[in-house]
Amino acid sequence: MSEEIRADVLVLGGGPGGYVAAIRAGQLGLDTILVEADRPGGTCLLRGCIPSKALIHVAAKFAGMEHAAREPALGIGLSGPPTIDLAATMLWKDGIVDRLSGGVTALLKRAKVRVIRGWGTMRDGKTCEVAEADGSTTTVRAGSVVLATGSEPAALPSLPFGPKILSSTEILSLRERPRRLAVVGAGYIGLELGTVFARLGTQVTVIEAADTILPGFDAELAAPVARWLEAAGVTLHLGTKASGFRETEEGVTLALARGDGSVEELTADLVLVAAGRRPRIGGWGLDGLPIDRDGPFVRVDETCRTSMTGVYAIGDLVGEPLLAHKASAQGEMVAEVIAGRRRRFAPAAIPAICFTEPEIVSVGLSPAEAAARGLKTKVGRFPFAANGRALTLEGGRDGGFVRILANAADHRVIGVQAVGTHISELSAAFVTAIEMGAVLDDVAATIQAHPTLGEAFHEAALAALGHAIHA
Amino acid sequence: MSAYDLVVIGTGPGGYVCAIRAAQLGLKTAVIEKRATHGGTCLNVGCIPSKALLHASELFADARDHFGHLGIEVGTPKIDVAKMMAFKDEGVSGNTKGVEFLLKKNKIDAIHGTARIAAPGQIEVKSEDGSNQVIEAKAIVIATGSVVAPLRGVETDGKVVVTSDEAIALPAVPKKLVVVGAGVIGLELGSVWRRLGAEVTVVEFLDRILPGMDAEVAKQFQRILGKQGFAFKLGTKVTKVETEGGAAKVTIEPAQGEGEAQILEADTVLVATGRIPYTEGLGLDRIGVKLDERGRIETDAHFATNVTGIYAIGDVIAGPMLAHKAEDEGVAVAEMLAGKAGHVNYDVIPSIVYTNPEVAAVGKTEEELKAAGTAYAIGKFPFTANGRAKANGTTDGFVKVLADAATDRVLGVHIVGPHAGDLIAEAAIAMEFGASSEDIARTCHAHPTLAEAVKEAALAVDKRAIHM
Ligand SMILES: Cc1cc2nc3c(=O)[nH]c(=O)nc-3n(C[C@H](O)[C@H](O)[C@H](O)COP(=O)(O)OP(=O)(O)OC[C@H]3O[C@@H](n4cnc5c(N)ncnc54)[C@H](O)[C@@H]3O)c2cc1C
Ligand SMILES: Cc1cc2nc3c(=O)[nH]c(=O)nc-3n(C[C@H](O)[C@H](O)[C@H](O)COP(=O)(O)OP(=O)(O)OC[C@H]3O[C@@H](n4cnc5c(N)ncnc54)[C@H](O)[C@@H]3O)c2cc1C
Repeated sequence: MSEEIRADVLVLGGGPGGYVAAIRAGQLGLDTILVEADRPGGTCLLRGCIPSKALIHVAAKFAGMEHAAREPALGIGLSGPPTIDLAATMLWKDGIVDRLSGGVTALLKRAKVRVIRGWGTMRDGKTCEVAEADGSTTTVRAGSVVLATGSEPAALPSLPFGPKILSSTEILSLRERPRRLAVVGAGYIGLELGTVFARLGTQVTVIEAADTILPGFDAELAAPVARWLEAAGVTLHLGTKASGFRETEEGVTLALARGDGSVEELTADLVLVAAGRRPRIGGWGLDGLPIDRDGPFVRVDETCRTSMTGVYAIGDLVGEPLLAHKASAQGEMVAEVIAGRRRRFAPAAIPAICFTEPEIVSVGLSPAEAAARGLKTKVGRFPFAANGRALTLEGGRDGGFVRILANAADHRVIGVQAVGTHISELSAAFVTAIEMGAVLDDVAATIQAHPTLGEAFHEAALAALGHAIHA
Repeated sequence: MSAYDLVVIGTGPGGYVCAIRAAQLGLKTAVIEKRATHGGTCLNVGCIPSKALLHASELFADARDHFGHLGIEVGTPKIDVAKMMAFKDEGVSGNTKGVEFLLKKNKIDAIHGTARIAAPGQIEVKSEDGSNQVIEAKAIVIATGSVVAPLRGVETDGKVVVTSDEAIALPAVPKKLVVVGAGVIGLELGSVWRRLGAEVTVVEFLDRILPGMDAEVAKQFQRILGKQGFAFKLGTKVTKVETEGGAAKVTIEPAQGEGEAQILEADTVLVATGRIPYTEGLGLDRIGVKLDERGRIETDAHFATNVTGIYAIGDVIAGPMLAHKAEDEGVAVAEMLAGKAGHVNYDVIPSIVYTNPEVAAVGKTEEELKAAGTAYAIGKFPFTANGRAKANGTTDGFVKVLADAATDRVLGVHIVGPHAGDLIAEAAIAMEFGASSEDIARTCHAHPTLAEAVKEAALAVDKRAIHM
């Protein structure tokens, strides 16, 4: 069985890039088809941001109760230490994923987007053949095509994925808590998930080839997280490569090669390989299209156009940062571009958050990045230890702070970073300030409610101006 | 004795911040405080202790109510009120010591005692031990704050019939708590004791809770509190409170018109019907400082009273009784006294209710816009459609953005929902810049965050939310 249908817009891939592009296109009255091999939602919703944050939430609650059971400092006494039933946790998490994916399906329907479930292969720049589960094929022809095939976990040649060597996808659905977990890669995904299991009582060891954790964030921001991990009993092997493995009765024994040439063994029940993600460029006909690349990624311009007329690409497929909100922002924009609006993808800043303990937020330039560009800057810092709200939330003892960076000459804010308990929600205030072209004095003049963590942002701006009040 | 450039009376958030800013600008500064510790209402008996108790009681309620479905088993949690209070006291002393340290660091002389203004430029301080001293100052800033408003016909005894001062330090969880007044303080402290197991009934004169905040937000919030077991008697007044044997009988009647009186039994009655400016003993009438009809010190746009050299800030003058408003006024008056241009933008003062979920607002409410005849557009987005809220299992509430119908300028943002107090920071910054709803909508918000709901509400102003 083969059927041919036509549309104004074809979106290939239903992650946060693709489904947002499709909804926005539908809102703008374009006849739109979304091709997705799985349920809508993509990496983010099905096996990324949402399930990981759900588990982070549970682990945080669990740790809070453990803390209360051990030293009832808040006056909450427990009859015994808490226990975790990971299978039940996963059921709860699956319920959330189901509801959100169902929600996206409903939104697509409301925007009158037709969804075809199946693996799509591009035959040319306007034609996609979709192999559906029932064995039938649908051919879609569209005036404009948006490629949004996303990314997948990168495998390490020395540690191919298997029953005991897992990617983030499998670890997010474990039914039983491992006793020992080795995490290869100390990027945000590895550390977020490592933290979850450490909090639930797993003995976690992190192996990282670089000399620092969280290479995406600077050392000053990463330090409180490293301290937390150590205090939580997580072992860090930095400057170390997992060079090989052997499956044993007990689990997996990894060979750890250090920079100095020495080799050590480490045995764990399970290994999580979180050594980055790579764009999904194989298996859907990209090689047959005259589309330029940029390293492993698809090359696009400011309007997300590829080198092929009428073909656009967005999200993880087109490069860093590999973040859901970047994908969505491009998706929204590309739909408007296709609808004939004048739009460009030129955000002043894209926030990045690491949901570890404590949390890290980074927006705009870091001091090192500014220095590399030869910019003369003013930096202000304010510690959460001096913030009343942090203290009432039992934060502030983790070495957290807000850091603001501005051009020395005109005080224009070019970067804001923070590390601390519960600070992820401040990211919006930081981006807004940069998007609005704020100068330090503007941030200093904005009244922040008391007592809030946001007051630390205000104080950091004051500190950069040389007159913080509470420090 | 050498004269000071500035003497500040009262070291609440208005006073101590004013003093620090003045010292930074090179003014020779002293503060006078009658309490043993600095920080005023806010740090000693207000914001900080209430937030510490809200945090601890929330963890307790969590453990009791919300964990089974997450796969966490915790047995039966028990509450030790004395320990919880010790945790709170530690937070308070950490904060008040912090202020003491800051005053020292900025070389501000801190004098303990009760101040009376003998004449412009001359302050008499009476210490605990009865000794008196006179201090000379070129400028005086009055930052004496506020105290609990008494309720006509109701005597507080500090044990059964209490104010917030005692409600943050009850020795045990009352079985039945009646809260008089459905404002911020009543609902926050009512929440603390409700979570710890008290049956809470809130009596409010008006027919709504959170007077002054957006009515739609208040309505939704009332529904949520109802689900948490709060009982409300709205449009109702308390006419009598009788105590006997450590318990109280509260007589209530419909606020308007005729109706049966009813009696509520309670172990504790919290009177939370507002706060009034505190100027007692300052000797203002003698030196002729003018008060308004509500007993607030009258000031001009530069915080100057009608008497030269005397200024006033914070809860003791007009405006919202909020710590950050007091602080900002403190900074502004210090800068003006040092010859700089200080400024407070009263259109953008956020306010927060630290319940669960939180309520937060900045700018105008719908009611205010309607009353002013401003044409506005509304964008709303529920937390049930937000990924982070779902992942955290906290989906009660929504974000509402009000924008000028003609210019799209954001006029108000109202939130009831998880971490609303953190989310309002973005709205305040955007409004400080005169942002349009489109500016917020086009700003890249991190995923997955609750703040995406603010962005979606901004999109919804133009009827183009993505996730709704
Ligand atoms: C564990 C983890 C945690 C993360 N946490 C965060 C976070 O907190 N914040 C954040 O911003 N980002 C996070 N990310 C990254 C985020 O998930 C991605 O940046 C985002 O999903 C990229 O969106 P996308 O639309 O480009 O691609 P994807 O989400 O990868 O979606 C691509 C979709 O295309 C489909 N597809 C691909 N090829 C075809 C084809 N030929 N035919 C049919 N369908 C096809 C796939 O099935 C998939 O559904 C996380 C990722 C992981 C793995
Ligand atoms: C339970 C509760 C919770 C609250 N929560 C919040 C909140 O979350 N957020 C918020 O913004 N606000 C909150 N508030 C309000 C906040 O506490 C006040 O707005 C703030 O403290 C006002 O600051 P101020 O400096 O004007 O006065 P105050 O903090 O009242 O300080 C005045 C000081 O002056 C001293 N004083 C008075 N007269 C004399 C004299 N003659 N001589 C010497 N010293 C004198 C007093 O002892 C006092 O220390 C809360 C209040 C209460 C009661």
